[in-house]
Amino acid sequence: MSNTNEPLIQIGEVSRRDALRSIALAVTVVAGGQMKLEAAQQVHAHAREEKKSTGSYKRKLFTEHEFNTLGRLAELIVPADSVSGSARDAGAPEFIDLLASQNEDLGAIFTGGISWLDAEMRHRHSVPFLDAKAEQQTAMLDLLVDAEKTDRERALKGMTYESSEHYKDFQAYGIYAPSDLGPGVVFFDWARKMTVDAFYTSEIGIKDVDFRGNGSISKYEVPKEVIDYALKHSPFAG
Amino acid sequence: MLDPAKEFKEHMWPYEVDHRGAEEGGAAYFGKGKSFGYFTTTSGGWQLDGEPYTVGEGSEFQWFRSRIIGGRTNHYGRMSFRFSDYDFKPYDRDGLGTNWPISYQDIAPYYAKAEAFIGVTGSKEGIRSAPDGVFHEPPPPKAHEILIKKACERMGIPCIPNRRAVITRELNGRPPCHYCGQCGRGCLTASNYSSSQVQIFPAMKTGKLKIVDMAMAREVLTDRNGKVVGVSYIDKRTREEKHIRCRAVILSASACESARILLNSKSKSFPNGVANGSGVVGRFLMDTVGFGLSGHVPALEGLPHYDTDGFGGAHLYMPWWLWEKHNQIGFPRGYHIEIGGGYGMPGIGSFNRQARKFGYGKSLKEGVRKEYGTHVGFAGRGEMIPNNHSYCEIDPKVVDKWGIPVLRFHFKWTDYEWKQARHMERTFAEIIETMGGKVIGLSAAERERDGISVPGTIIHEVGTVRMGSDPRTSAVNGFCQAHEAKNLFVCDGGPFVSNPDKNPTLTINALTWRSCDYLAEEMRKGNV
Repeated sequence: MSNTNEPLIQIGEVSRRDALRSIALAVTVVAGGQMKLEAAQQVHAHAREEKKSTGSYKRKLFTEHEFNTLGRLAELIVPADSVSGSARDAGAPEFIDLLASQNEDLGAIFTGGISWLDAEMRHRHSVPFLDAKAEQQTAMLDLLVDAEKTDRERALKGMTYESSEHYKDFQAYGIYAPSDLGPGVVFFDWARKMTVDAFYTSEIGIKDVDFRGNGSISKYEVPKEVIDYALKHSPFAG
Repeated sequence: MLDPAKEFKEHMWPYEVDHRGAEEGGAAYFGKGKSFGYFTTTSGGWQLDGEPYTVGEGSEFQWFRSRIIGGRTNHYGRMSFRFSDYDFKPYDRDGLGTNWPISYQDIAPYYAKAEAFIGVTGSKEGIRSAPDGVFHEPPPPKAHEILIKKACERMGIPCIPNRRAVITRELNGRPPCHYCGQCGRGCLTASNYSSSQVQIFPAMKTGKLKIVDMAMAREVLTDRNGKVVGVSYIDKRTREEKHIRCRAVILSASACESARILLNSKSKSFPNGVANGSGVVGRFLMDTVGFGLSGHVPALEGLPHYDTDGFGGAHLYMPWWLWEKHNQIGFPRGYHIEIGGGYGMPGIGSFNRQARKFGYGKSLKEGVRKEYGTHVGFAGRGEMIPNNHSYCEIDPKVVDKWGIPVLRFHFKWTDYEWKQARHMERTFAEIIETMGGKVIGLSAAERERDGISVPGTIIHEVGTVRMGSDPRTSAVNGFCQAHEAKNLFVCDGGPFVSNPDKNPTLTINALTWRSCDYLAEEMRKGNV
């Protein structure tokens, strides 16, 4: 985000005005239209939210606040980097909104989860998740991820395979009994898995992992350099 | 009726549908999506609306049914292995189960005909457990498979080109495989085998085959003298009961469904159901023993990416190799090993593991890139011994929405199967570790948490209309012809006497061809 070549914000869309108003006072504008990094990050985020929510996609279930919160989570879960855009760019909030609008249970997981997250953030920082500072947001996610790991380790202790030496790196996929952050762990698990799915099933994500298949070819061959590389790095080298 | 051009989702990208494959309301996230995923070919499911089955107390069994032309061959794995000579005489080798009334020599010519007609890849290997056949050229192994083969060489396990019902040269107007790896979605060019595209549709073109679709068979009809005269069925469109009169009836409804029809075909002449004077119909139900393990292989990290789709399954597999060592390994019968790995097309759930492992953010995104394509999976497919606790029968209290009494399943794995699954586990772990990798989990944790597949879930259920030479202990003879009715045949997995570790479809094709030749000759002679 410190890349100064990237336009941090482009002014001009009237529809974005309301979204920007809430943070305008916090923004220190310097010569040349650049802002302090932290403020810029938030403006950047809000600008994107605005673009999505007023773009061709029409929100179906979530309020603007909920939708934008999912957008921010999407940016945190799969952030943009030098290779590709973020899960928000890949349409994660739209994906979740669409499916949640078709399924009451799924809808409740997200509306309830976002509300829990906001309440937790208000207790800690007096602002909802979306309005918290970036480091406050990531601190919250770190807490949830740590709680999840602790729960998982506890749950795995009772599994059939725990006693076998082969399973020391075992990673099962399921929902585990939560700590007092339990609702957040469960919600974040949903937000993350659907965000990750939305990203990697998008054109952006498929390109990001450099998937080369889904083709139509007359003769199947494996490049020699690939075989050489695999053998060279394996116990069968030399 | 199945229309491949309209229904097959071959070559579709996940982003071409708004739900990306998670289906409406995210059904896939709740375990309510289409079996094997949204993009797989039109098929059935573990549960069908209005057509239940029940499971006896203390048993577990899952039954996959496809109510569509071509049935489960539309989506199956297309592994096509001949039984070995010893597979037909299991009792002679270990005193367990029962010998088949036919031998390898009886069926070998029909294996050759079936392979030549449907198209099967493979190579000449001369391995007793995996007899060679009539093969199309197999595609070359992928990078992870080369490492697996090296590991197997160290361990003394044969690792050979896979034998799948996919063609790699033109066959009867079917173009060769174009290596998109999406056999499970249904192949628009019919370059893989399904009975719909390779047998039924071409047969319809002859004008000599009439298909009555949306028809739910109720029972085989017999006349006062006990002669089979036709089949009654429910027209699903109108719920009317109709019947077809015919000279011969061939049931190919799948092993359990055929048993169900026979058991429901009761009359004065056949109080236990037609062809069931022996009482064996429904008994000797077998599935394949399944167990899977996956591993992370560091040698595959940083590999230059390439297209690993191939011909829609692993390009190598490991046939059973310890057929002379049963005294040492402590269990009878064997298994083969199927391989997974490569850079699969990303889909719903593809990166669940990394999401959990890396948390979120930069580390997640980089972790996915680093681990993508670095996992290998092994699935054991082994032979169970038929036992008295594993069978299906008519549930005395339940009918489906067509008014047809449903099946109730009973099933138990025994010590033989559990020991085999533990041998699979040790073997797969050793292969992974020999490759310099680490075991990271069960390949299908949901189903195999207990260390062996849930009965029925390998979808190789066979044995319920057993063949034999003695009418007192079998329902059909070696030609799959009912002992009690010369014009009644069962041509599916029902007549299997044992369930070797060779996936059943190729053998069903061969047995059926043999039965049809026999039936044609019997009809010509006026015996049927």
